[in-house]
This record gives sequence, structure tokens and C-alpha cells, in this order.
Amino acid sequence: MARFIPSEPGEEEGLLRELGISSTEELFRDVPQKVRLGRLGVGAALEEREVVALLDRLLAKNRPFTKDPAFLGGRIPIRFLPAAVDAILQRSEFYTSYTPYQPEASQGMLQALFEFQSLWVELTGLDAANASLYDGATAAGEALLLCHRIRPGRRFLVPSSLPWEEKSVLANYATGPGVRVEEIPFDPATGRLDLEAVRAEVKRGDVCGLLADLPNGFGVVDEGLPELKGILGDLPLVVSADPLALTVLEPPGAWGADVVIGEGQGFGMPPSYGGPLLGLFACRSEHLRMTPGRIVGATRDAEGRRAFSLTLQTREQHIRRSRATSNICTNESLLALAFVAYASVVGPRGLAELAQRLNERARTLASALAEVPGLRAPAFDAPYLWEFAVAVADGNAEAFLERVRRGRVLGGSPLSDPRPGAPAGLGGLFLTAATEYTDERAIRKYARLARGAVRASPGGAA
Amino acid sequence: MTFRQARWDEPLLWELRPPPEETGAVPALPGIPERMRRRRAARWPELTELEVVRHYTRLSQMNFGIDTSPYPLGSCTMKYNPKVSEQLARRPGAAQLHPAQPESTVQGALEILWRLERALGRITGFPEVSLQPAAGAHGEYAAMLMIRAYFRDRGELERRTEVLLPDTAHGTNPASATMAGFTTREIPSKDGCVDLAALRAAVSDRTAAFMLTNPNTAGLFEPEIVEIAATVHDAGGLLYYDGANLNAILGITHPGRMGFDVAHLNLHKTFATPHGGGGPGAGVLAAGERLAPYLPVPRLVKEGRTFRWEYDRPRSIGKIKAAYGSFGLDLRALVFILLHGEEGLKHVARRSVLNSNYVGKRLGELLPRPFRPLVKHEFLLSGAPLKARGLRTLDLAKRLLDEGVHAPTIYFPSLVEESLMIELPESESRRELDGFVAAFSRALGDSDANLRSAPHALAVGRVDEVAAARHLLLSWKDLRARGEVPAGPAPPSDGSGKA
Repeated sequence: MARFIPSEPGEEEGLLRELGISSTEELFRDVPQKVRLGRLGVGAALEEREVVALLDRLLAKNRPFTKDPAFLGGRIPIRFLPAAVDAILQRSEFYTSYTPYQPEASQGMLQALFEFQSLWVELTGLDAANASLYDGATAAGEALLLCHRIRPGRRFLVPSSLPWEEKSVLANYATGPGVRVEEIPFDPATGRLDLEAVRAEVKRGDVCGLLADLPNGFGVVDEGLPELKGILGDLPLVVSADPLALTVLEPPGAWGADVVIGEGQGFGMPPSYGGPLLGLFACRSEHLRMTPGRIVGATRDAEGRRAFSLTLQTREQHIRRSRATSNICTNESLLALAFVAYASVVGPRGLAELAQRLNERARTLASALAEVPGLRAPAFDAPYLWEFAVAVADGNAEAFLERVRRGRVLGGSPLSDPRPGAPAGLGGLFLTAATEYTDERAIRKYARLARGAVRASPGGAA
Repeated sequence: MTFRQARWDEPLLWELRPPPEETGAVPALPGIPERMRRRRAARWPELTELEVVRHYTRLSQMNFGIDTSPYPLGSCTMKYNPKVSEQLARRPGAAQLHPAQPESTVQGALEILWRLERALGRITGFPEVSLQPAAGAHGEYAAMLMIRAYFRDRGELERRTEVLLPDTAHGTNPASATMAGFTTREIPSKDGCVDLAALRAAVSDRTAAFMLTNPNTAGLFEPEIVEIAATVHDAGGLLYYDGANLNAILGITHPGRMGFDVAHLNLHKTFATPHGGGGPGAGVLAAGERLAPYLPVPRLVKEGRTFRWEYDRPRSIGKIKAAYGSFGLDLRALVFILLHGEEGLKHVARRSVLNSNYVGKRLGELLPRPFRPLVKHEFLLSGAPLKARGLRTLDLAKRLLDEGVHAPTIYFPSLVEESLMIELPESESRRELDGFVAAFSRALGDSDANLRSAPHALAVGRVDEVAAARHLLLSWKDLRARGEVPAGPAPPSDGSGKA
């Protein structure tokens, strides 16, 4: 611990002498006795060696997803990370710096963030991106607030297939302005958004915007989405997109999206049990001044050199306070650097190949699971990329996945809302994903365990 | 001055090796409808790994971090980030865990979160802790949503629509309250602290909460905190603790003992998780009995020796972020607590307060210090005397950068003219503090011309932020479309070849 707080003999005494006091206790004489504490009870300090031993003992109780075949995804993909990406992130000039308030001292991070913005603009087909938000779900929340600023309706439409976590986050972000998050049903055969239902809701009025996801919560690439703008007219359209999907799919900006958000952790960061994550956010120029978050711009220095700085700060909380477009201050800058570093190391060809490979493996996986009696894989008759929903005949996806897990395969994640009293609508579905670690052997093992798991279910398929 | 930062004039990625002007359609994926296929591949360069590594290494050399220089940003608590945390967070048992993994395969991760929650419960004096928020402001916002839900359950939400806060509050406070649907009202300060009489006059049956950071942004401990708490509670309101400045009071007092109802903490400040150039942060919510039922789900529970997620919290506000927290950062925060222990955490408070009082006294000989001299984690100076020289605090801040130290927080809080807010946490030694004082003194004593034109020793000269806002160039696409700003100095205008 001495290493973390300077404790050279006499140093503190010297500082106290300069202040004309004899003990640090005197520095706290303005803290009323009534609120002073005795012991906290957090235990004594450990040596670094002991901390490492303790943490390693705890971490050994985890089973990393690389040990067993894991078919987990959702917004948080399992990807192989080239060592160069982490080597860049470990430059401590980057990771121990603060928000670049003094641009002259922070050109490195500012340029990296500018490159990150440039890449997200390129992928989304929109005009401008910010320098990151917390995660994909809160980016959806901020997009809702932006929609409400553009069109002050009191209803925000989302697909009922949206992951329950995101619906819950959205419901919270909707609280302040008094917006209701309303669900649009999906087509039971294809899993696609019911466009007629969208049309009807828009006609009913009081809508401030709609969010659609690509792929959606079932992994479905919904080819109806490009028709949404025609239905919404001048109501804002938000698309939540997988960045890898945008390397192969037509950018939503090209078919009318006003805002494109997403979860960016899959570009350059390990899942780390869910955090930190990276919120992606891009929009059209005309809405820029109403958007949340830090934005980096290019400009010049006094000598006419190219330079970068934060810009449009008059939208932000540290200047605008209660009238700010958002309360966000700290964002996910280091993950934005990871995002652009990953995309650069892997390169555009590498990412296109990755998308191809994952798609191939997902199709192999789907064929294998489709042969398992009692499973419908994919659950929907629709195009998908590397993830798809699977329906379990007995309606209990959790139990199926647990039985598969006992054979050491992580087969996917249930789509139902685990909160008591939540609608059981998606109870029989789970999402499964192909990853770079998914090989033929893993798929065979999964299919074998799946057969056993279905047989073992009460009244399951024979 | 002897410091010189690298000046690479490093091009953008897109300029290192320009991608083709026209890209074709991406290869078709089986099953993906033609209308969804990208007609033009996204454009960014194919580079070798060395080119990418060299690019970002050069950029890193044009960036200050705690590892290169003291970083005295007030209210940001820029302390050393122990390296062992970086190593441990990258272990496969930590990094290679997916949030959808079954509980039985992540018991160690859950125990790490549990241990951190318990430690933070003791540090804050609150029975329940949630690690879900992504950052401090996110924690504030979640707390405001919890307060809303609390008053809704009591049937008082129609009436209690107002959140009070001091005029020295961090900007995130009023922004968070507004986002949660409250109106805000500022309470004027008196001598840098809450004016109790003004607070008493302002509270009413419309008051939902009073948001306070203690010690406050002037670096002062609010001496009337007990009376403040009573005033807010007597009016039926709740007291919210902004934990940005917790570093100064670790183990000395805590929000629970001071009478707060709910708090947020910043793990990236007090508990030394790296700031990452602006993030990731990690927020924490800690709540007393009245608000604990409203904490976001899931809640982590321990049954026997097993940990599991609990969703059965009918009064919970639900989720505020996709995953539970930021496990990679939570692990680092636990490591910090373990490395310090009870005595070490108290030493953190004592030493950070000692540092700030010492530097405050020394710099107080150079510039005016408002309010009383006894401060906590940070102190304020006024750069107003610079105006007589035709200079501003901004000029001093820029000139400080030339000394190889970062500038303080400037122009906040606004109740001090031309303010500088300085925090040098416990990890800075006397040698560094004296070095900072000497740098500050040199900067202040330099010529008016040098201050006005500073910085000179950095990768770029003074950056034109006004032009950045006036002519928005926010991506490579903008640079190409709306007037290229080349890397490197502008072409010479006099033909001398010297920019």
C-alpha cells in the first residue's frame, strides 16, 4: 500500500508543518463529531501478491466461455480479439487520461475519437456520430429522448421482439418526458415487424418515433424495415444495428433512418461479464444540436495545423445544466478507441470475411438443430446473419438450456423477461449464436445434447 | 521550460492509405435478400498491423495521462490506477465471461461483485448497493427515477415535482433531475456552502429531493449537514448524495451517517478505475431503507454459499443498463479496496486532504483563494487578477500545459470569477506537489505574450474551439466534402518554407 500513497518518513509531517498543524486530524475539524465514524469494517489491507492469489482463487470459480462450446450472443458477441488491439488499449497515455477538456494536451485521444466517429458515420450512412454513450440500451433511451425533442408525441413504438432489458431501460428513459413505450407485434411466422400495425398506430397519432433493430431480437434481418420511413413520414426512425451487420447490410441511413444506435463492445472488447460496453450513436445533421454526448470536431491551431477538440459543448450538462440535451458526462472513450482499433487491425476485408464465416457457421448450426425433434430452428422463417431464435416445443427454454449446460454446452440465452408477473410471451424461445469458436465438433456436440435435453423434458418429443 | 510533447502531424487512418474511391457491393450472403445487401462496401483502409500499431502509438504520445503527468482536475480525482488491476481484469476468468452465462458458471464473478457491494455498503453506510449504473451521472439519474417511484407509491408525485440543489452543484445534477421529469431550483451559496436560511425558505411540500455533494465543489465540507438533512426531511423530501467527492471523507464520515437517503459513487474516481480518456466509468447506487426497494433489478443475493440474481423486486424501477454493471471495472475497484484496507482507505482521505490544503496554501500566495482556507479534496482559486494583464484563466491553463502538467478544471464552479478548481489526490508525493507549485508559479510569472499564445510545447498550438463549433467537421467524410484540413502545418504564406 505504501506504493500507492507516498509514505516517505517525515513527508507528511513536513506538509503538516507547512500548514502549522500537528496532525491530519485537525484537517477534519469542520466535520461535526455527530457524523464521524469509528470503524468501517472493510478488513485489513492485503499485499499485491495476496490480492492476486485471492482474485485468482475467485476467478477459478468461473468457467470462461472459451472452455466449452458457447453459443451466446445477443447484443454482446463472443469474438476473437487480435493481440494488437489490447496492446493499443494498454498505452497508458490513453487509458489513464481524462475527458479531453484541454485539447492541446489530448490530441491523441481526440483524433482516435474523431476516427471512431468517422467509422460509425461510414457504417451507418448518416451524417454525424458522437464520441460514444454508455451502451446500446441507454443509446436507445437517449434516442427516444431525441425523438421526443424532434416530435413531441407521447407514444414511442418498439418491436415486441426487442430484448426485455432494452424495453425496461427505454421505459425508464421515457419516464421524464411522460412518454409511453408501446409494443408493435411481430409476424408469428417470420418474426418480422408487423408493418400494418405500425401504420395503424401512426394513424392513431401522438407518436414521437419508432425504434427497430437490425437484426432484431430474434436475429431476424427484417427486409420490411426499409419500408418504415414511408409509413412514418416525418416521424423519426431509430434503428438499433449490429456494427458487424452493417459491414454487409445496406446502411440504415440509406433507407431513411434518422438515428442509428448500437452496441459496439463486439469491436475490440471482451464481454467481461457484461461491461464495460459501448453505446453507438449517429444522426442527421439537422438534429445534431439536439443530440446527447460528447462530439469531437476538426479545426486548426494557432499555427494553422489540423487539430481536434470537443465541440458543440453548449448542448452539454457542464454548460447548459438543467437545459442540457442529456446528463451524460463520462462516456466510453476507451471502448471507442477499441472499436476503431479493432476495425483497423482486422480491416474491411477481414470483417467481410468474418461476416461470411459466421453466417456459414450459423447456417450449419441451424441445420443441425433443425433435425432435433422438439426444436424449431430457426423459430422464424426469415433471413438471419449469425444468430437466430429457436423454439422449444414444451415452451420451457430455460429448462432445455440447463439440461444442455449439464453436458457442458452453453446453448443460448432465453428471451423471456425473468421478472415475476412479466408476460410469458416469448417463454419458449431462446437466442443462439455462431461465434468464431463455433466449429463442426461444437455443433455436433450441441445437437447431440439437444436431442437428450428434449427427450428428458416432461412429455418432450420422442 | 524543458517539456516537449511529441509532434507527429499524424494523418487520419483514411489518409495513411486512402481506400478506393468507389467500392463495390459486398458479397451476397445466402438467404439475405438482395434489397438488404450493401451496395457499396463501407470505406476504410486496409492497413498492416504495424501501420495500425504505429499510428495509435504515435497518437498516444500526444496525450497526457496520469502515468505521464500530474492531472489536477478538480472533482475528477485523477489518482494512480494500480497496474495489478489491469492484469487481473484481463484474466480469462474475468474477461471471457458472457453476461448470459448461467449463474453456476460465474460464481466467482458474482462473489467479486458481492464483496464489492458489501464493502461499498460499509463505506457509504447504506444497507443496499447496486453496481448497475454505467457512470456517476447515470447513477444520479437512476436515483432520481427511484425517488419518483417512491413518491408515486406514496401518492405524492403530483405535488413533489421540484428538486433543489446548490448553485455549486455539478452540472450533471440539474441535468439528471430534469431528465427524470423534475423541475430544478438552485439554492444560493453563502461563503461557498449551502445557505441554510435560503434552503429553509425554499423547501416545501413540492420538494422531492435536495441533491448535495459533500465536500462540495468549492472543496468545503458542509458544516451544517445535520441541519440540512433535518430541513429536507422535515419538509418530506429526500436527500441525495453526489459521491463525486467521496475521496476526502473515506472512513471519516459517510452519506448514511450524514442523513442522506441515497447516493451515487464513481468507481473511476474514488476507487481508481482508469478514466480511459473520458470513460468507461462505473457508477454505484447505494440506498437507505426507504429507497432500497426501488433499486434496479436484478439484485445480487447470497443463499448459503451460492450467489444468484434476484428479479422479484416488485417496486424496482427495472433496468437502467443492458448488463448488471461493468464487471471489468468492478473487479478493479475491489482490488483497490483490498490493496488499501480499512487503514489505507482512511489514509486516502487524510492524504488527499493534506495534499489539497498544502497546495492550496502555497498557491494561495499567488492567486486569491475564495472562502475559508480549510478545504477537503480540492480547492478553488480565482484567476481574476489576470484580467489586469489583459489575460484570462484560460491563458494560465494553457501555459501550465507547457510545463508538462495538466491544467486544473477551469470556469467551474461559476460562483468564483475566473475560477480554477484543483485536486491532487493522495497518490501525488510532495515532490510532485512542489513541482506543480513551481510550474504554476513559472506559468503565472511568464510574459503576457507567452501566456496569451500558449501552449508552445505540445503537439499542436492553441486550438481554435470557436472555429470547431462554427464550421462543423465531425468525420473524415466532412473533411473531404467540406474543405480538407490537412495534417501538419498550413502551407507557408510567405514562401519561406517555414510555417
